[in-house]
Amino acid sequence: MTERPCADNAVRTALSAHDPSWRGAARVPRGLRIALLLAPALTVVVVLFGGGLAQALAQSLGYQPFLPARPLGLDAYRALWADPAVRASVGLTLRIAVLATAAAAVLGVGAALLVRSLGRSRTAFAALLQVTLPLPHIVAALAMVLLLAQSGALSRVATAAGFVDAPAAFPALTQDGFGWGIIASYVWKEAPFVGVVVLAVLSSGVAELEDAARALGAGAWQRFRHVVAPVIAPAVGATSVLVFAFTVGSYEVPFLLGRPFPATLPVVAYQRFRDPDLAARAPAMAIAVVTAVLVGLCALAYLALADRLRGVRVGEVAR
Amino acid sequence: MRRPRPRARLIALFAAAVVTLAGCGATGAEQAAADPDPADWPAVLAAARGQTLDWYMFTGVEEINTVVADYVAPRLADEFGVTLNVVPVADTADAVNKVLAERQAGRTGSGTVDAIWINGENFATGKQADLWYCGYPAALPNAQFVDLDDPAVASDFGVPVQGCEAAWQQASSALIYDSAQLGESDVASLVALSGWARSNPGRFAYPAPPDFTGSMVVRTFLYDTAGDPSLLAGPFDEARFLPLADRLWPRLNALEASLWRGGATYPTSQEAVEQLYATGEIAAFYTYGPGTIARKVDDGVFPASTRATVPSIGNIGNVSFLAIPGDSPDKAAALVLANLLQDPQTQLRFYADAGIYPVIDLDHTPQDVQQRFAAVPVRPATLSIAALTVDVLPELDTGYVAAVEAGWTANVLQR
Repeated sequence: MTERPCADNAVRTALSAHDPSWRGAARVPRGLRIALLLAPALTVVVVLFGGGLAQALAQSLGYQPFLPARPLGLDAYRALWADPAVRASVGLTLRIAVLATAAAAVLGVGAALLVRSLGRSRTAFAALLQVTLPLPHIVAALAMVLLLAQSGALSRVATAAGFVDAPAAFPALTQDGFGWGIIASYVWKEAPFVGVVVLAVLSSGVAELEDAARALGAGAWQRFRHVVAPVIAPAVGATSVLVFAFTVGSYEVPFLLGRPFPATLPVVAYQRFRDPDLAARAPAMAIAVVTAVLVGLCALAYLALADRLRGVRVGEVAR
Repeated sequence: MRRPRPRARLIALFAAAVVTLAGCGATGAEQAAADPDPADWPAVLAAARGQTLDWYMFTGVEEINTVVADYVAPRLADEFGVTLNVVPVADTADAVNKVLAERQAGRTGSGTVDAIWINGENFATGKQADLWYCGYPAALPNAQFVDLDDPAVASDFGVPVQGCEAAWQQASSALIYDSAQLGESDVASLVALSGWARSNPGRFAYPAPPDFTGSMVVRTFLYDTAGDPSLLAGPFDEARFLPLADRLWPRLNALEASLWRGGATYPTSQEAVEQLYATGEIAAFYTYGPGTIARKVDDGVFPASTRATVPSIGNIGNVSFLAIPGDSPDKAAALVLANLLQDPQTQLRFYADAGIYPVIDLDHTPQDVQQRFAAVPVRPATLSIAALTVDVLPELDTGYVAAVEAGWTANVLQR
């Protein structure tokens, strides 16, 4: 709450700079003040994201100002399921998102618990967790190409060590049918993200609770089940939903590591978007809108989940 | 005086901001100067001086980038006072989409794209949406060296050019192969090549259409399936296409098992295919840029035994153009670039340094220019201008291109 006076000052300064004679800024109603403070961030979100989404929605309905006018309609949406590229895409997209999210959550929590249990080297390992965070996904994807491709580092090492006869005999891990390369790239980026968030939650007084539980005779599993898990559950849930939403909507990793068919939904949308025939614009935008709705549902699910988890946690602690 | 209520003030403030922003937009549109008149060339040169030219071009060919940076850009700056800003695009469709989006956003006359290296479908897309500035190619001073009536220059993948783009290079395809692994008889025809692929599975690849090169490979097989190129001449004819397609798809599906990764998937770009050749995973591939191969051999990227050839059916060839969006504010500078690219000296430089075959008709050029073209050595890995153009097949109508790409996706990729 210490930011409050500072924020008040900012508003007062901003308003009085505009008109020095006006000194009543302190009387700005609370609701308006909050709205004002949020305005810059909200403007960016509403104009850039909302504007783009509205354009996508309009074009998915067939709005195309350069072509002869046609009646708007849901034709593009109706045609989606008949499109084999889209049909093949849904399963692949969900498979990659679910597996990448699950693996990132498990590995992230494991890494956080491991780092917490370390003694003096803890700070160094915590820092190590953060190394992958600022790296762009496209870098991770290219690193996976260099590592996992049949002409990549792993394949060459395996050939040199005699595990396989030739680099081409190495199992195909990029541009593979299952999506291993894409999943690996996401897990490499997202597991440390989950780990860092969980580690932050774990360092906020959980140790004392655990000590208390131990003093009362709780075993390791009981401490994890009744003390640690309830504390970290909201964080794991939140980061998992974020990771899932991101992997469903992300383009560059599946483009670089995936196949032209079947491809994930964002890749299919972009393939349609780049179709020289402008009539393909409506289906492209329809796929994009469907993906956005899917991600939006994830966010709603998260909000509902977060409320319930918070309730559980309060209940557990009260008990 | 009664103090205005904060909310009223705020509304006034926002209103003022909105008006100011709207004002900005309006002035932007007004700034669009009248289009230059290409017939009055000195006026074009005067208008171009001081302009910055945003040229959206495919930058996947290192040799072309080098000539543009080391030769075209300095000449534009020194002789014409034009600053060249090359904007790299991986796919020309991206540049067309940008022009389209800017038109949609109301940036009429103040677009950010001044020129695009373009041809085929993307040019047709722009024509569909009426994006191009037209009426200049015949007025360019260097157009005297270009045969504007040549069908390859007058129409672009079957779409009439109608003065909406200016030719600047010729791209004829060729088959590149490693002569240590394939004999001359293996590349004599597409049937022979397919036979070799069957006995050497996994060593031939083409990128998945709609990749520009991948689409050309499938169209070359279409020509070969038809046997007689005249069957496919003219505008798209479904009645002619369908029976051929019924023979083409089984043929390509039969070849699939002999391709890289057994045809379970296809490389996503021509760069990926050349990478596979460089690492030795494949031994033959098609390209639109056979002139650039020799340099890759010199650099040790490709094996020294690399050779280029044209199988018996012939090779698809096309012309690359420069299109100027109607919303470009720097049209004069774009005209200067279009003219400079047709300059015989520029064409010679592209040919000698980047292996780009000239679009100008050498018979129209002075004797000394012809001699200097003839003096450029032909390397073992490249084909002479004559060898590359003797069996050249015209690009098919864009209707065929679209049908081939959609049909390949449905019948070969997704099968």
